[in-house]
Amino acid sequence: MKIVKQMVPLLAAIVILLLLFRIWVPTFLSPENMLDLTQQISVNTILALGMTLVILIGGIDLSVGAMVALVGTTTVFCLTSLSGETQNLFLIFVSLLAGLGAAALFGMFHGVAASKTAMPPFIITLASMLVARGCALRFNGGLPMPIGEHQTFFLAIGNGRLFDVIPLPVAIMLTLFLLMSLLLHRTRFGQHVYALGGNREAALYTGIPVVRVEILVYLLCSLMAGVAGMIHTSQLYSAEPGSGEMFELTAIAAVVVGGTSFTGGRGTMFGTLIGAVIIGILDKGLNQAGIHYSLQYIVKGAVILFAVYLDVRRNR
Amino acid sequence: MPATISPLLRLHGITKRFGNVTALDDISLDLQAGEIHTLLGENGAGKSTLIKILGGIYQPDQGQIWLEQQQVSLRSVADAARLKIRLIHQELSLAPNLSVAENIFLGCEPVCFGFLQRRQMNQKAAALITQLGLSEIADVTATVSDLSTAQQQLVEIARALSQEARVLILDEPTSSLSDVEVDALFNTLRRLRSQGVGIIYISHRMEEITRLSDRITVLRDGKSVGTANTNEVDTATLVQWMVGRDIQEHFPRPPYRPGEVALKVCQLSSPYVHDISFEVRYGEVLGLSGLVGAGRTELARALFGIDRVQSGTVMIDGQPTQIRNPREALNQGLVLVPEDRKQQGLVLDQSVAFNITLPWLKDWIRGCVFYYQIKNAIVERTVKRFGVRLAGSEQPMRDLSGGNQQKVLVGRWMEKPPKILILDEPTRGIDVGAREDMYRIIGDLVKQGMALILITSDLDEVLNISHKVGTFRAGRLTGIYETQKVSAEQIMQQLTKGEESENR
Repeated sequence: MKIVKQMVPLLAAIVILLLLFRIWVPTFLSPENMLDLTQQISVNTILALGMTLVILIGGIDLSVGAMVALVGTTTVFCLTSLSGETQNLFLIFVSLLAGLGAAALFGMFHGVAASKTAMPPFIITLASMLVARGCALRFNGGLPMPIGEHQTFFLAIGNGRLFDVIPLPVAIMLTLFLLMSLLLHRTRFGQHVYALGGNREAALYTGIPVVRVEILVYLLCSLMAGVAGMIHTSQLYSAEPGSGEMFELTAIAAVVVGGTSFTGGRGTMFGTLIGAVIIGILDKGLNQAGIHYSLQYIVKGAVILFAVYLDVRRNR
Repeated sequence: MPATISPLLRLHGITKRFGNVTALDDISLDLQAGEIHTLLGENGAGKSTLIKILGGIYQPDQGQIWLEQQQVSLRSVADAARLKIRLIHQELSLAPNLSVAENIFLGCEPVCFGFLQRRQMNQKAAALITQLGLSEIADVTATVSDLSTAQQQLVEIARALSQEARVLILDEPTSSLSDVEVDALFNTLRRLRSQGVGIIYISHRMEEITRLSDRITVLRDGKSVGTANTNEVDTATLVQWMVGRDIQEHFPRPPYRPGEVALKVCQLSSPYVHDISFEVRYGEVLGLSGLVGAGRTELARALFGIDRVQSGTVMIDGQPTQIRNPREALNQGLVLVPEDRKQQGLVLDQSVAFNITLPWLKDWIRGCVFYYQIKNAIVERTVKRFGVRLAGSEQPMRDLSGGNQQKVLVGRWMEKPPKILILDEPTRGIDVGAREDMYRIIGDLVKQGMALILITSDLDEVLNISHKVGTFRAGRLTGIYETQKVSAEQIMQQLTKGEESENR
């Protein structure tokens, strides 16, 4: 298990952080608190899973935060305008599809633009971040759109519990983690992703459909943002056009803390999961320890820098 | 070159270890002023390590370096520069976005109160170019990326000599140059020699070495095998020193038993080549010769579906085909092994096994199941068939020598042999032993009836390995000759005809 071996320092970091916060916050390791933690990291983890693919091929997607807002507003808009005071499974399905469809359109565009033109993905997705944010603000005059109490199904996505224990977002997160791990580590597509990120030109000469792979990668990243957007919106009980601000940066942080090379070609889904957990523990721990939020930022920044420094040094 | 003159540079007992690998073992060497001294050896023999020590990049574990009878220590690149030892690396290290003059003065730009003196810089650069006799570079304000590879190489040399040099070290400067361009470089080096500069020259090309150098030192496995005056030693001896065994036939030409026409190209044009017509038969090697940028690689790219084909027809086995991307080419049984192993060929960070099996993922990954047995069998077959030397198939590609990387790059396609194989510079930058292996592989493939297109800048190679040779000039195929009925001089003439009138 080479992958697990590489993760030993990160797993050690998790243990150390957990014990450290246990000193400050006596209840930190309690089952409820831990379950709460998994719930809190679910949105970021899902975003980071998609981001891992993009970073693995040497790209970047800055639009995922705005995508969270756009998917939320689109879905809730459809939901309220279609179904009114009632709840209809078919209409819920249509609304979810509309939200994911919006994300898919953006993802397709990113992939086509990145693979067929010389525009750098940073700029492409920076631009579409603004466009997506603008689109989200078009709904309801830019005001939050509350979700009716009767929409129990949609609200369950972010707040329900599986078997009354596992929060639904956590179940979704774990399912997606498994699917993405399979896709990356157990399919031809995954090998293509590594080849593309390691050497795009070599991949082309080897007969890998580089354009198709690249489009699929950006599409998957946007779809992940779509799912994350559903959960986030449901958790807020309202679609907020301004939500998801800076989410892209936290997701990128989780990916790189998890050991994925920013130049592409090297990294794992498991690493990203670990990275997201570390950032989640920091977030929650610093919060519960009552550290002033100004200091929280500084500590988090320092930790990210340190983690990436260690990773870069190890892989030189 | 009387040996009684005290040497300009003397290395004594240089030893360098990396971990428990001894890269250099007790190397002694001297260099006279006004001498061109060649270092010869297979990849991994220690040439590059040795010159990196001279350039101050590595420090030796043991041994002394004397410069003009003074013992010196070269702890950094700056130390070497201060002692006027100039090192020109194998890979170009120019900033492609800057001008010739800006590159020459990079890091020591003339300034006045912190402001760049651009006019003064350009004047100085132009003066330097004239003084060095590098007439090939006409305009010092030209952007480096617009220059040919040969011109860039000359800029690199100009930069190394922009400050006075006592010792000039060149690491395979000709690996990307064509014969004409090599001549220009050699004239410059000879002029520097006559000015008293000591030159250490590294190359694989035997013919160059005997033309250019005064003395030759051969390294093998980190040891110095011997030093000889160039006019007192023959090629066979040098090769034997290098590889430690006799190599009988330098260029084994594959037997010529042409079959049906495999590939027929009629009036093909892409943005870079014009009106190309030729055919290759099964069991035949067609060599393509030309200066760098003459259109050989560009033709290959068009055939392989990377560059857009604007007009003309391509027929494989008599059937007209349209190839729009490499996948379609591979499906048609056409493989291109690109010229730049590192840039276009291999995923260096990944393992040997990853690289070998990359074209054959369909065979060992079905859905979500990895069939490692099949994968390992593919890797094992390829490694065995081509004699790839490696520690293990999970070794990173980066760690293999150039020759072994090339074997992987060619060998991986033989899992399902293509009908038509295009090899672009398959022997560039690999050592004599690996080169022999590559020729043997080419011979085997041809005997099996494959149609081969061999693109190479090495005139000896193209004339001895291929059955026919096509000459390229300025994006056009100017002629096809049977190699046994044509001389190197005739080909050379073809390649360079009209050069003067086109350039001026």
